[in-house]
Amino acid sequence: MSNSDVSFEGRKTLTRKRTSILKSQWFYLLVAEIVIAVITGLVNPRFFSTSNIMNVLEQIAVLGVVSSGMTLLIISGEIDISVGANIGLSSVVMAMIIKAGQPYLIAIIAGIALAVFNSLLVGITARAFKAPSFITSLAFISVFQGVALAITKGTFQTIYGKFEFIGTYRLWEIVPLSFLISIAAYIVMHFLLSYTKLGRRTYAVGSNPSAAYLSGISVNKAKLSAFALNGLFIGVAAMVLLSRIGAAQPSTGSGIELKAIGAVVIGGTPLAGGKGRIIGTFFGVLLMGIISNSLNMLRVNPYFQTVTFGLLIIASLAVSVLSSYRKKEKIKPHSSKEENR
Amino acid sequence: MQSEALVEMEDVTKVYGMHRALDEVSFDLFPGEVHCLVGENGAGKSTLIKILSGAISPEAGIIKIDGKVVEELNPRQSIEMGIATIYQDAELVDSLTVADNVYLGNEITGRIPFVIDSKSQMKKVNEIIAALKMHLPTGALVEELSASQKQMLQIVKALYRDARVLIMDEPTSSLGMDETKALMNIVRNLRERGIGIIYISHYLEEIFEIGDRVTVLKDGKSMGTSSLESVTVEEIIRKMVGRDASLFYTRRKVDIGEVSLEVKNISRWGIVNDVSFDVRKGEVFGIGGLVGSGRSELVNILFGADKADSGEILLNGKKLRIRSPQDAIRQGIALITEDRKKLAMLGGRDVVENTALVHSENFRGFLLNLKEEEDVTDEIVNKLSVAVQDRSQKIEELSGGNQQKVIIGRWLIDDSDVYIFDEPTKGVDIGAREQIYELIVELAERGKCIIMISSDMPELLSMSDRIGVMKNGRMVEIVKNDNIEEEDMIRRFIGV
Repeated sequence: MSNSDVSFEGRKTLTRKRTSILKSQWFYLLVAEIVIAVITGLVNPRFFSTSNIMNVLEQIAVLGVVSSGMTLLIISGEIDISVGANIGLSSVVMAMIIKAGQPYLIAIIAGIALAVFNSLLVGITARAFKAPSFITSLAFISVFQGVALAITKGTFQTIYGKFEFIGTYRLWEIVPLSFLISIAAYIVMHFLLSYTKLGRRTYAVGSNPSAAYLSGISVNKAKLSAFALNGLFIGVAAMVLLSRIGAAQPSTGSGIELKAIGAVVIGGTPLAGGKGRIIGTFFGVLLMGIISNSLNMLRVNPYFQTVTFGLLIIASLAVSVLSSYRKKEKIKPHSSKEENR
Repeated sequence: MQSEALVEMEDVTKVYGMHRALDEVSFDLFPGEVHCLVGENGAGKSTLIKILSGAISPEAGIIKIDGKVVEELNPRQSIEMGIATIYQDAELVDSLTVADNVYLGNEITGRIPFVIDSKSQMKKVNEIIAALKMHLPTGALVEELSASQKQMLQIVKALYRDARVLIMDEPTSSLGMDETKALMNIVRNLRERGIGIIYISHYLEEIFEIGDRVTVLKDGKSMGTSSLESVTVEEIIRKMVGRDASLFYTRRKVDIGEVSLEVKNISRWGIVNDVSFDVRKGEVFGIGGLVGSGRSELVNILFGADKADSGEILLNGKKLRIRSPQDAIRQGIALITEDRKKLAMLGGRDVVENTALVHSENFRGFLLNLKEEEDVTDEIVNKLSVAVQDRSQKIEELSGGNQQKVIIGRWLIDDSDVYIFDEPTKGVDIGAREQIYELIVELAERGKCIIMISSDMPELLSMSDRIGVMKNGRMVEIVKNDNIEEEDMIRRFIGV
């Protein structure tokens, strides 16, 4: 505002009301996590041992990195269900380069670049053919898997004894490096979403693409940026996964996209886009890790674990629908707050 | 007209919030009659037919159908009582044939159960078509039909269901000359068969050609019904306009400077046809015309949201290259769109994000400045007195007037040279309306060029320095606003 003549008298300064913690979905996730942990810990005290906790954190590291990228993509109003196949392809490529005796750095750069390229392909085809990215990514699952099978001729790419640092290093001999990488992924994504133009654009195109376009935002650019960043996170996840397992095959990572989408949705980011925060995704991923570990500790038949994940997603949908009902009832015409003196 | 009325409405009232969309309107329709409804945009015509078709229910008044009082009317009952509405965008199934569409949900089955007897269906539909002297291929798919054929199909469908009241809402707006003539013949044909027709049209020539009686609506009130034999075009137009002085806004005069925006020969095939005009600094250039005359399409081109086939735009003597809204914004053009919800609001996002949207996107680097965003939001909220509780309130929770202020405010943070307002006060309460007018005048005082599209006649006449009249994609004339009468203006819109 270059030439505003509002006097300071009668001027009202708005406050940013802290959103009540009770309205955030992540708070409920945290409560659920504590309840599950306490119950499991009572039945099997080993649950609270340091080694078990670190084990859980290590297990959810890859999912955490993938889910961070997925959060951005879903907020932008798009989706990618070829994440698993993309991880499979880029991790076998990394493994093959390492096997060929090239430096690790080259393998990592090539693998991540490939993942970015793959994710961009999904996005570009969706935007170019005006098709939902659900469909184009569905198609690319077969493409990525097929290419991975072709270049490996279906064989396992083992790199035992090499490239173990990322998967095995523990800070102070306790905290797994892979977990720290996933924390870094959350933080980077939070920063992008909340403090950069890129994040603001992502919310805008996910919320109302027409309004975003008419405000000067290039919708294509914004959405393709989301795809590219998603690819970057997929590449990092593939790197962590390869280092931990020490081998890769075309089916490496398959199915992780559904867990990631589940974690994002449980964390309060609707598939419709335009809304959502990374903290929700963090607790969504954590919940998945804790439940999985608890079921193991409680010696539940592993087949039922899969069932539990499905029911969990349904339950989270129910929670978000119910909370939106409650909100609608509350909306009344607001009267202006007259004074603030 | 001696027989009993098919439809009688007495003192029907429909209220939306503070707004009386229909105010004690009475209306009747006899068999074998074409009763026309005329009025400006928003006069209450659509509300009236929505009530008759059961889509909405009135707050007060009596509706009689065939002399019997109807307590409640839902869409299904309305159809069962023989009332059929022909919409422009028909609910027809594109992938089925003409005959199948007529029988949709009531298919004739032959000897084999569940198998449709297409032959008898076709035969019966052909009989109706022949009786109406229409040209309609029964076996063709609906997606192959023209707009006028789709309308005829709807008429056939209505007659098949024994409709005795046909409501036609702007039936000729998308038809050519020949098609209009054909439709007129069909309407006459229907009238001879004793069907009552409610005919809504902006085109007064059509009404005089085909109507028996006419009812004029204005601002939700009936201005009376008269026989078309005993009334002139002038009398009808006079009834459509002539408002209370309180609806007009008295604005300050602004010194008008030199020509700043020049629009030359803009065309977009089939939509906007060779439009030229210029706007001076400090001038409010109004654009009037009927809905569908190409007004919004024209400003979308100026703003880069649509592409022009030919023509050029100059600002302060410099030729502009506009290929997207982004280009337009960077070169000093702002557009406040007509459809707030669809085209402007980020519904689930908060007030700050909605206010700072244009600024942060176009006038900032990679990093946002959250403090600055909050400060400019405070400025806008104070300047436009937006009633908002706190910064994190979602824009969708505000009232219509406050939403509009936030949307306008987002264009005030950084200066533009040209401000285009498309229906700036649509769905805005009276208090906020005056503030928006005040703001527009302030912008003019600061030497901005203002383009304002409005369907609200008092608004157009009280705000504009000059008015460009759009008709069928052309700007047919540009009128200097020296106390123009409403009556005079509407005559130019309709073109009589």
